Amino acid sequence: MLKVSNLHAGYGGSEVLHSLSLQVGDGEAVVVLAPNGHGKTTLLRAISGIIHPTAGRVEFDGQVVSGKRASEIVAAGIIHIPQGDLPFPEMTVMENLLMGAYRPEAWAERKQRLEQVVELFPVLGERTNQLARSLSGGERRMLALGRGLMAKAKILMIDEPSLGLAPFLIENVYQAIREINKNGMAVLLADENADHVEGLADRVYLLESGTVVKEGNVADMLRDEALLAAYLG
Amino acid sequence: MMNDTALQPAKTTQTSQRLDWAAGPWSRANRVFLGVAILIMLALPWGVYQLGIGRFLLHLWILFFGWSVVAESWNLIMGVGGIFSFAQIALFAIGGITTGALAKHLGWNPWISMWLAPITATIAALIIGLPSLRLRGPYVVLLTLAFSELVRNYHSQGPKWVAEGGYGLRYVPKLGLDEMLGSDVGRIAYYYIAFVLFAIASYVIWRVFHSPIGMSFRALRDSETYAISRGVDPYRFKLLLFALSAFFTGLAGGFYVHYNGNQSPAILGFSVTITLLAGIVLGGWGTFWGPILGTGIMTVLPELMREVDNYRNMSIGVILALLAIFATRGLGPLIGDGVRKLIQLFRKQPQAG
Amino acid sequence: MKELFQAIYGGILYGSIYGLMAIGLTLIWGSLRMLNLAHGSLYLVGGYVAWTALNQWELPALPSFLLGVIAAGLMGLIIQVLLINRILGRSEFFTAAMIATLGASIVIDSGALLIYGARVKQMPPAFEGQFKFSGVVITYQGLLIVAVAVISFVLLGLFLRRSRHGLSIQAVSQQMDAARLMGIPTVTTFMIVMAISGALAGLAGVLLSSVFYLAPTAGFNPMVKALVVTIFGGLGSVKGTIWAAYAIGLLEAFLQVYFGSGAALPGLFLFMIIMLVIRPTGLFGLGEEQRL
Repeated sequence: MLKVSNLHAGYGGSEVLHSLSLQVGDGEAVVVLAPNGHGKTTLLRAISGIIHPTAGRVEFDGQVVSGKRASEIVAAGIIHIPQGDLPFPEMTVMENLLMGAYRPEAWAERKQRLEQVVELFPVLGERTNQLARSLSGGERRMLALGRGLMAKAKILMIDEPSLGLAPFLIENVYQAIREINKNGMAVLLADENADHVEGLADRVYLLESGTVVKEGNVADMLRDEALLAAYLG
Repeated sequence: MMNDTALQPAKTTQTSQRLDWAAGPWSRANRVFLGVAILIMLALPWGVYQLGIGRFLLHLWILFFGWSVVAESWNLIMGVGGIFSFAQIALFAIGGITTGALAKHLGWNPWISMWLAPITATIAALIIGLPSLRLRGPYVVLLTLAFSELVRNYHSQGPKWVAEGGYGLRYVPKLGLDEMLGSDVGRIAYYYIAFVLFAIASYVIWRVFHSPIGMSFRALRDSETYAISRGVDPYRFKLLLFALSAFFTGLAGGFYVHYNGNQSPAILGFSVTITLLAGIVLGGWGTFWGPILGTGIMTVLPELMREVDNYRNMSIGVILALLAIFATRGLGPLIGDGVRKLIQLFRKQPQAG
Repeated sequence: MKELFQAIYGGILYGSIYGLMAIGLTLIWGSLRMLNLAHGSLYLVGGYVAWTALNQWELPALPSFLLGVIAAGLMGLIIQVLLINRILGRSEFFTAAMIATLGASIVIDSGALLIYGARVKQMPPAFEGQFKFSGVVITYQGLLIVAVAVISFVLLGLFLRRSRHGLSIQAVSQQMDAARLMGIPTVTTFMIVMAISGALAGLAGVLLSSVFYLAPTAGFNPMVKALVVTIFGGLGSVKGTIWAAYAIGLLEAFLQVYFGSGAALPGLFLFMIIMLVIRPTGLFGLGEEQRL
């Protein structure tokens, strides 16, 4: 479904991604593992059109989306849930979620989608009229995931869902992602460590210095502790 | 946008004095060039006033010198200091009010009272400068606009001795040059005074521009880290800019009120501010030559376009909009680049041949 | 007692007008982060187009007013498309936008001078007549202005809070990156903002031209007031702007009634300078985070 081939991208002349290729199939959950500073976030930003790749291409459902505007890429069905959540601080939880359903197809079904999101994250249902800036860290993460789900996307790209959360919250978040994936949504997860990917992801890509150095299925990879230690430290 | 300046420190290397000397054809104050220029400027009025419209041309020159000083001063705080102040004409008017009222109502000799104009203007600038330096851009715009409106209000509706029922200051004693020298030579004398004022102000401002801290400020605009790392308090430097800028502006205002013999509150209307600002932007904001070039254009343009006067403002507007899109830095740097390229071309020519 | 009522009525009237003018500037600052120096000229466009429709094309009042509002909105859109869209994202955007909108304002004002001349024009009020309440003369036009303003504030609030495009304006203002990731086209959003704020300025121009007069320089004062209100309201907060509009309107009216009309403006500006010195984030400003 999502096919990234030989992607090059970076910021203002300094290239971060060097000829990176990966694939995500229909309904598949794939994780990109790398320590900080090896290009995970840049990869997601390049796919979602926040930055424009300098070379290579991104195809989605058979059409080339690289080089298109962010709004067009969202319209194609790719949603990027950014690192640090980036909620709209002075809007209510409800308004934040509604913004997730900005694209017309999603907006038409916003009521049903809201119900689904609230079912998945009951805490958001209790806080619909609260301003996003008043939420706790865990609630903000739920909001970011919920907002992404509102878009009626075909694939969710999630950047470091465990960042800055207390351990007991992290488990909840991954549980939710597992659930989302089980309902048929493809997931591309960017993560720093392999602790939570078991039972969630089908396949793993190991990134180093902006390129894929190893790929495989999760079970094999996780068994290879020496390998993980070498790359992730 | 603000973040982008974080990427700029690389530029600071260019601000070391040694490199800057070689930067452009005008950066080095070529003594021969300067001497010739000054001689021409000194001889100019004697030639000009032989012409039929000589008196009028001299008047334009005097206008140009005076407004150049104001534009350069404004550019000093806006282009170098990065402070969006709209109080410049107010400072100019304060200078005029000070000396005009003293000369008219207390019978002071204008040659003496004129020196109080820059002092009151500087004091006023320090009063608004102190709070505005701690405020962010839009708030500074508001504060200085409010101050300017206050001065305008005072000038048009204040006590009788400054407002005269909305006329401002009228029948202010002039400098007495016409009586002493006759109206033609008197006009030339005014030209010389304006020229000296212009020359001194420009020299001081040139020095500030090319001082190490001035250059670093121009390179970084709103990032003060470099200045701090040089051990200079940016707050104090900006205050100095404010004071210096107000001093010359007030002096220009003081000279003006005794040249014109009046000062109307209409000077504090938006159109004067716009014309001045348009000149600075046109010439190149934040550059030394920009305001001078721009004021020159804005002084000559209305006269050249007298027949199509109605379209003058409109074309200024169009030019500003085009500049904003295609050359935010203004015409000065464009011309400068052009000249530099030409010089390079000529220098390369012999080698090629 | 008469003075008190006079001041309150005047304050509400002024506040309504200032609010109409200032909200546009607020929306623009919130989403685009620029000072629109052409805002006063959009006010002019509204006034002059409505005047032309009424007096020269002899249309009825309501369609004329509507034409004025639409024309001002269109002009805002034109400025955005022709000028601002081309300089978006530049490092010197703040400066460039100020120069560009200054240029646009000069073009519009001098255009008004060319077409209509310098002589002042006055629009007949939509409703003639007045009545006395506790000795205070209240005109129907004044009441109309207040009513239209309040209705506009409510409609705008609903638009910003309920509709897809309104919410997206807020989203872009508060978190541009996230807004883009949700698929919100930022450039389109900016265009909507400029059209709305132009239409609001035009509305103010239409309504006010029957109270004050219409001249090629008539847009400056409303713009300065709007700037004052916008910044005072905390820059970019719509709610704060409306409160600030009425606060400043009331302050001005009270100064006028109790200290004479000459004291109103200097008193207002003095008060503002003092406020800026002791409370630099504005009267209702909640800091940088709060934008709309």
